[in-house]
Amino acid sequence: MLLSIVSYGLALGAVYALIGITYNVMFAASRVFSFTAGTVGMLGGVFGALCIDRMGMPVALGFLLTLAAGAVLGVITEVLTVRPVLKSLDQHLYVLSTLAFALMLQQLTAIEWSTEPQPFPRLLPFGPGFFDQQFWLPISACVLTIIGLEWLYRRTLVGRAFLAISEDNYAARALGLPEQRLRVASYALAGAIGTLAGFTGGEMMLAYFGNGPLLNFYGFVPVALGGMGSNRGAVAGGLALGLFQQTANFLVGGIFASVAIFVVFILVLLVRPEGFAGAAPARRV
Amino acid sequence: MAISRRQALIGSAASTATLASGVFRPAIAASEPIRIGYLPALTGPSSSTGIGINRGTELAVKEINDAGGINGRQIELVVRDTQSDPTKAVNAATELTRRHKVHVIWGPLNSGEALAATPLIARDGVPQLHPCWVDQLTDVKKYPLAFRNAPTNQQIGGAANHYVVNIVKAKKVAVISDTTGYGTASLNAYVPMLKTLGAEVVYEGSVESNNPDLKPELLRMQAAGAQAIMPWSVNAGFLSRIINTRAELNWDIPIVGQTTLGSGQTKALLKKPEYWEKVYPNNFRNCSYNAAGALPPRTVEFVERIRKANIEMGDTLLWWIALGYDGPRLMAEAIKAAGSGPEEIAGYWNKIKAWPGVYGSISWTPELHDGFQNEEIVMCQANSLRDGAFTLAPGYTG
Repeated sequence: MLLSIVSYGLALGAVYALIGITYNVMFAASRVFSFTAGTVGMLGGVFGALCIDRMGMPVALGFLLTLAAGAVLGVITEVLTVRPVLKSLDQHLYVLSTLAFALMLQQLTAIEWSTEPQPFPRLLPFGPGFFDQQFWLPISACVLTIIGLEWLYRRTLVGRAFLAISEDNYAARALGLPEQRLRVASYALAGAIGTLAGFTGGEMMLAYFGNGPLLNFYGFVPVALGGMGSNRGAVAGGLALGLFQQTANFLVGGIFASVAIFVVFILVLLVRPEGFAGAAPARRV
Repeated sequence: MAISRRQALIGSAASTATLASGVFRPAIAASEPIRIGYLPALTGPSSSTGIGINRGTELAVKEINDAGGINGRQIELVVRDTQSDPTKAVNAATELTRRHKVHVIWGPLNSGEALAATPLIARDGVPQLHPCWVDQLTDVKKYPLAFRNAPTNQQIGGAANHYVVNIVKAKKVAVISDTTGYGTASLNAYVPMLKTLGAEVVYEGSVESNNPDLKPELLRMQAAGAQAIMPWSVNAGFLSRIINTRAELNWDIPIVGQTTLGSGQTKALLKKPEYWEKVYPNNFRNCSYNAAGALPPRTVEFVERIRKANIEMGDTLLWWIALGYDGPRLMAEAIKAAGSGPEEIAGYWNKIKAWPGVYGSISWTPELHDGFQNEEIVMCQANSLRDGAFTLAPGYTG
């Protein structure tokens, strides 16, 4: 039982954490919570199965094309659903625009792909068991992503420019940073991370259009738990969520497991509304 | 003889009056085609069923028309593809009843669309025949002209329960569903039926259909001593996870339930083909092979006709084609014997007893418009699909 909790819990948690990072990368560049994050994650599984299983591409090529498709979707999200509403962020129109786009993508997937879950190919020729690739692939992807983002944000000029626009985009523009291009690049990066989540978790979650809403919600929980904008918080929150979900599955089971997650989520937000890694907003006096 | 202008005018006025009075109307009506409004889902997510049923329906209409029609009147199938969308089904049903004034409606062919369209068809007073399983779709008070030539969900669950308790002889049963309306409604309906049959339901639970790990649930079933698992879901992912997990636990108790257990989508999601052993979905006796690999004689003759008509069977299910074939034949028989008026058709159907369909025998009464017989609903072996038909599950005779 413990092995099952740890293996499935960490793997699911890693997928949630990657979706949480997708939310964060989009949020950092635009102050917008784009509800396409889970849908892009779902499409990672669908594109992977399409390229490798249906079109017979090599795994590496299918993987790269999936990430590229995610990046393109990220750019489309920025152009179609975020840019037009940036001027009126206080009206929260982005909730409608990104949610509508996510629903369109989901329905399109249902029509063109399938309404039934489809198999996702085994990517590497390793056997089943605790060290099954369906468990360690998403965990590895999550670790590599957080290391890569830390390196990008702290060691590269482009990364520092990303941080600059997330801190204060007016000041960044005043310094001559190409804010719009950086935002588009952030969305492309977020799209690629989202599809990475769906691709590496594909064998566990299958290539299924119905995974979109699930990832949208369970990917948002780590962001809320870990603190908005904090990637490390999202990883910690995601892994904790996965482990808690699996433990609840074993201990209470059925729909009660979902109820247990909601209860803990609400309790945490009541006690610490800014999340574990987030800073409490400063009060202007 | 010369005809004066006055005589000609009087004559033509008389002819016009005669035509208007309807003296010639019976002759016109007697030769006009019988219009069957037909509402299949030929595209969209529910289209696999619709396409299968459509093959049988077209064959039946062609055979009837080739044989001279119904009392000399040809059948005109007025087809509207519902695109698996209840809204389109409603619009199409209204168009068929009001604009095309069809004599009778065949469909919609899936429950979601039928739930939306049946009240409107009933309101317009057009007889309706449909093959949908949702229990509420027949009600002699609300929909006196609506008839069903397929089993209800109650009958489907009852047949599975009968197999588990009386044929497999399982005393302890685990019942699991997904959290959809269908799943939870089935669970709530079938568990009391199982208990009435004398089984002990040792596990009862609903789980989200895209939960990737069902091992905790199956471990609970195992710990409770379950001797059979009955999953109620139409989600192939959910069902395949139950089958895969059972195999990974080295557990070989039977899995008995809904037809999706035997679908190609479920098969595609199994980790190994042998995991499909001891999985028994619902099926229908007339469209199942017996232990010797033979179909019932009535069905053998039907399959011959399908083959002669070059109708593809390998990519669909025989019972879908058979069901589609029975629909127009039931209509033709009623119109031939009683007439094409709504009350005449419904009146004839109300008295039908053991009508020998290829899909199943149909009996209706004025009080009950669910015509399918319980004993014709069986379980089959999921891994036995051949030419669109399955082999009966172990334990059945005949």
